Amino acid sequence: MLAYQLRIAWKSLRRSPAHTLIVGGGIALGVAVSTLFATVRHSFAKDPIPDKSAVLYNVRMDTWGPVDPYPGGKPPPQVTYQDMVALMRSDIPARQTGTFKASLYVFPDPRVGRPRRELVRLCFSDFFPMFEVPFRFGGPWDRAADRTAERVVVLSDEMNERLFGGEDSVGRSVRIEDREFRVVGVLDRWRPGVKFYDLTQNPVDVPEPIYMPFAHMVAMQLESSGNSDGWRSPPMAGFAGLLASEQTWILLWVELSSADQVGRYRAFLDAYALEQRKAGRFQRKLDNRVTPVRDLMVEADVMPKEADAMVAVSLLFLLICALNLIGLLLGKFLARAAEIGVRRAMGARRLDVFMQHLLECELIGLAGGAIGLALSFGAIAVVNLWAKSIISRGDFLAMDWAMAGFAAGAAMVAGLVAGLYPAWRVCRIAPAVHLKAQ
Amino acid sequence: MELGPILRAIRRNKARFGLIAVEVALTLAVVVNCIALIADARAQMARPSGFPDDDLLTVSSAPFDAAFKEPGYQQAALRADLDALAALPGVAVVTSTRLIPWSGGGSSGEYRQAGAGDAAPMLRSQIYNADERTLDALGVRLVAGRTFTREEVDRDTRRLQEITIHPRELGSDGRPVDKFLQDVVVTRAWAEHVFGPGPHLGRLFQDSDGDQYRVLGVFDPFYNPYGWPIHEYAVFYARRSSSYENGTRYLVQAEPGQASALARTIEETLTRVNRLRAVEVSRVTEIRYLYFGRQRMVAGLMGLVAVLLVVVTGLGLVGLTSFLVSERTRQIGTRRALGASMVDIVRYFLVENWLLMSIGIAMGVGLAVALNLALVSSIASARLDPITVAAAAAALWLLGLASALVPALRAARTSPAVATRSV
Repeated sequence: MLAYQLRIAWKSLRRSPAHTLIVGGGIALGVAVSTLFATVRHSFAKDPIPDKSAVLYNVRMDTWGPVDPYPGGKPPPQVTYQDMVALMRSDIPARQTGTFKASLYVFPDPRVGRPRRELVRLCFSDFFPMFEVPFRFGGPWDRAADRTAERVVVLSDEMNERLFGGEDSVGRSVRIEDREFRVVGVLDRWRPGVKFYDLTQNPVDVPEPIYMPFAHMVAMQLESSGNSDGWRSPPMAGFAGLLASEQTWILLWVELSSADQVGRYRAFLDAYALEQRKAGRFQRKLDNRVTPVRDLMVEADVMPKEADAMVAVSLLFLLICALNLIGLLLGKFLARAAEIGVRRAMGARRLDVFMQHLLECELIGLAGGAIGLALSFGAIAVVNLWAKSIISRGDFLAMDWAMAGFAAGAAMVAGLVAGLYPAWRVCRIAPAVHLKAQ
Repeated sequence: MELGPILRAIRRNKARFGLIAVEVALTLAVVVNCIALIADARAQMARPSGFPDDDLLTVSSAPFDAAFKEPGYQQAALRADLDALAALPGVAVVTSTRLIPWSGGGSSGEYRQAGAGDAAPMLRSQIYNADERTLDALGVRLVAGRTFTREEVDRDTRRLQEITIHPRELGSDGRPVDKFLQDVVVTRAWAEHVFGPGPHLGRLFQDSDGDQYRVLGVFDPFYNPYGWPIHEYAVFYARRSSSYENGTRYLVQAEPGQASALARTIEETLTRVNRLRAVEVSRVTEIRYLYFGRQRMVAGLMGLVAVLLVVVTGLGLVGLTSFLVSERTRQIGTRRALGASMVDIVRYFLVENWLLMSIGIAMGVGLAVALNLALVSSIASARLDPITVAAAAAALWLLGLASALVPALRAARTSPAVATRSV
């Protein structure tokens, strides 16, 4: 029966190609617009590291001064150096890293280019396996290098391209500021959607081009080129003062694989804070946070505030496209009243007529949806190109299976909205009237 | 008028006529809210910084040579750069400052009104150093008092430097024993935030160390985006920038119309002065362009949706009214045969359409407000503007009328014979 109805529906569509094109085009337009907007929202909302987002936790402590809270009333997004050092002595997390970025001079071979400032991420060797950072050549430095401030670096694929023409540069040397570093690893293309491990500044930024052991911060007296907030002046002048200060500029991440570990780690944090309180620190109400990736993204307002409104508007746009098609379909179906009268007289049930017409609408809907999906690919490419001039990244918006499914669902719903009333009308035709008119 | 027959016809075919009204209502609701989002984005982009953005250039100079670790060398390099920049034709004022309009960052500090007591909340403001030319270079408008003189800048620079070299002795409360008083120039928004309505000249506020700050000048407007909502608050100290080790920034105000020409010559000029550093020049208009990227994208995408929507609805209305008219060919023929003129027929359909559009627009206004309330809860500033709603309603009304005119005229030409033939 379905095959038969499909055949009739197909024939009917072939009979008036212009009409089919207009109806399909209307649905395609609606699907393209709503898929584009849904993809914009989805690109911000989706899990940037699905395999591990449940076990990666950001650590914050309310070290702020006693008089006024940190703006917003929550603990500051980063921790102090002294707290990072103390907390990283814990053996509860399977992996952990403190991290911040600095802006440092990189001196390429003079034949390749002039010295340039580049963003360098200081982190521990756990950073790479924790965040599933992919390597093309070599790998992370080992944990011993973290302790001894070994002069090693990991380069991004793009930096390796710029400095070494893209070849396997493991073992080669790069001058950063006043010292030479040995390349131990080159990353494969790494583009997590949202830069989840550092949401303190632009959340859609690309990852840094260079990574070096955290210990170089002290060795080279490096200051953060990112956010740094504090509430009191350092206890002494110079770099030592910064290290001992209440200035917060380090993101602390831990990997905790079970609820039990999370509980123990929280207890450890609170015990540490209470211990510190005896020394006069942590004067505010105890507020230590261990936040998983996705909750942190919500808290950091990663999603642009307009995104939901734009998705709502685009869905209404699709609805209006579908409503506009009702008139066209109604005209087409009712023009066929005589033919339907004959079919009804020959024994076709109302349900058969109804289903057949609805099927016809769903066929156009799906075809329109496929075209709409293709159109939205184009639209996403255009918006990405546009975004590139603003966020220096032309691949942030990405279509995935979820969005393709969204497009298919939207197309089916649009077909249904457009076809339901015309199909119902046409199945209610009384055969007698139209037979008489012949 | 044939209002009676029209209303009866509508009542008998609620679904079909209702469709037009619903379509119009939804279109109006969405278009008006698109316009509200665009207007909000445009209002944000049009916000004045208080600076002549078009004439400003920011120059970053980052040295990579060990020579720059030497303070004497730094001073000389800074001096040489400022002289070279000032000598360039087309440069009005040049200064060294960390303030980069529209770049969304900087330093901030906390203060309270002097004598307000320890219980009073600390208020946060952006803080910047300024020499005797900085506020001129920024092009801000003083509304009271004055900016720093060269002597004041030299005096305060020396004093602040003294503190960093020889930290002050701390009392038992952890605060310096010797307090100091410093003259500052502030934004009007900050002065009102701390003291309430003016006059503000000569008034004092203090920081957590107990050091006091005296208002020497007030300017307005000022808007420089910051990570916290303190975009309009700024306090300027008199201090000549001296650190060059991590690079320095110059702010250049060009003579009107000279900025783009200067943007090309500055890098070359500074590299000639000293090759051991990287120089980057940006126009403040470019920085502002990047800063408003999101707003520009929202406005562009919403504009696209609004235009597409009007096109789709226009076409849909033509299709639907054509259908509604063609369905009544026989009725029209009968009326023509019974003596109705062509004008009568056209008028009938136009009145019918006018009625449907009016119902649709009335529903649409309600729907627009409802949709806007749902949007407003997520985007506080995208409010509906009554004039926009009225204009969009009028435009949609005309669109409906135009879409009805074509099929109505065609229907009016229906020959009376049609009616007799097909019965």
